[in-house]
Amino acid sequence: MSGKKALLIIVVVASLILMTYQSKKGHFFSTGTGFSAILDTVHRAATILSGSLSRPYRMLVLREEENTALKKRLSELAMERDGYLDAVNENKRLRELLKFRENSRNFVAAARVIARGAGHWEHTLKLDKGRDDGIEKDMTVVTPRGLAGKIISASGSFSTMLWISDIKFSAAVRIKDSRKEGVLSGSGSRVCTLKYVPYEEEIKTGDVVVTSGLDSLFPAGIQVGYVSRVDNKGLGGNFQLIEVTPYQDPYKMEEVIIVR
Amino acid sequence: MSYLLWAVAIFAAFFFQERVTLLGVIPNLTLLPVYYAGIRYGESRGLLAGVLTGYLQDSMSHTLLGPNILSKAMTGFFSALFVSGRYFRWTVLLGICAVSAMTFAESMLVFFLRTIFDKMPMQFSEALFISVMQALINGAGGVLLRPENAD
Repeated sequence: MSGKKALLIIVVVASLILMTYQSKKGHFFSTGTGFSAILDTVHRAATILSGSLSRPYRMLVLREEENTALKKRLSELAMERDGYLDAVNENKRLRELLKFRENSRNFVAAARVIARGAGHWEHTLKLDKGRDDGIEKDMTVVTPRGLAGKIISASGSFSTMLWISDIKFSAAVRIKDSRKEGVLSGSGSRVCTLKYVPYEEEIKTGDVVVTSGLDSLFPAGIQVGYVSRVDNKGLGGNFQLIEVTPYQDPYKMEEVIIVR
Repeated sequence: MSYLLWAVAIFAAFFFQERVTLLGVIPNLTLLPVYYAGIRYGESRGLLAGVLTGYLQDSMSHTLLGPNILSKAMTGFFSALFVSGRYFRWTVLLGICAVSAMTFAESMLVFFLRTIFDKMPMQFSEALFISVMQALINGAGGVLLRPENAD
């Protein structure tokens, strides 16, 4: 057997042993934090740079398109209006965050989303605040719309959050009006699944789902989503098959709040 | 100097992978430097580049350590075996097909390993869609990434 093939076999066997060990004993502690921290710093710099570059670039493009001074002036005014509307929208979002922060007794930090996670199969987002701002693992991530996820790792200046739609996410929840309890789990797609609700319980489409606080992880009363599909025809085994659509679209998250 | 360039290339692959999406799919850009290391420098270096890149990706994903190490190591090894000219003469079409096939196989392997050793990360149909999209995106890399002895 050549040395190259032996090397491949060693790597394959070592990887399989590594994964088997972790599947029995639990995952290893993440060791790529140094590389990740550098990558996050570059992400933050790129976000700031692209933000500062995009505005003059848009102006330049518009100027090239306009031939007359009048059109140029009009385009500048249009751009100013766009900038104003952007500012108004941002102001509105930040006001909502501020209001939420004032109402939240457990506020820890407000953070911006700077990038998605590196993995293809995980639903994670990187935030620009970390342990230096008081963020710790397992803290709750919310937006003014509702529950967004939880913190799964935090370094000095950055942290990583898990969306509620990830397969590894679960939270104790209840139906807001009827107070029926269940466990919300991510499904890997945009909708979540409400588990362990027996057939006797009447669940209706449109019912609002909130956290119950019974898992000692998420504060009670945070809005999560609404029931978008109920299948009580026996497809879910001993329990009803209930789909919950989260209020917060993960693809539209820009700023989040971390609470404990 | 060459090691520095490789470090920059791998770093850039991670950086753009985390910033770019197409139809909601994160591209598998970290596979490209591994594939290139394989076709350019042979099985051993391809395999080692795969192990390193896979380790970084696994450790940054905060989940099971191993699927990307194994899949990327195999990508680096087999890209050298099939594309370097020993069995097939490199052409642009072969390059595109090889990168696409390697990307698809690598993504599905990670999906199956995570399913077996951890939890099924998503529905199979969604994983299939993501893998096909990643293969199509990476196919463009097959035009640019060619072995040293290519015409």
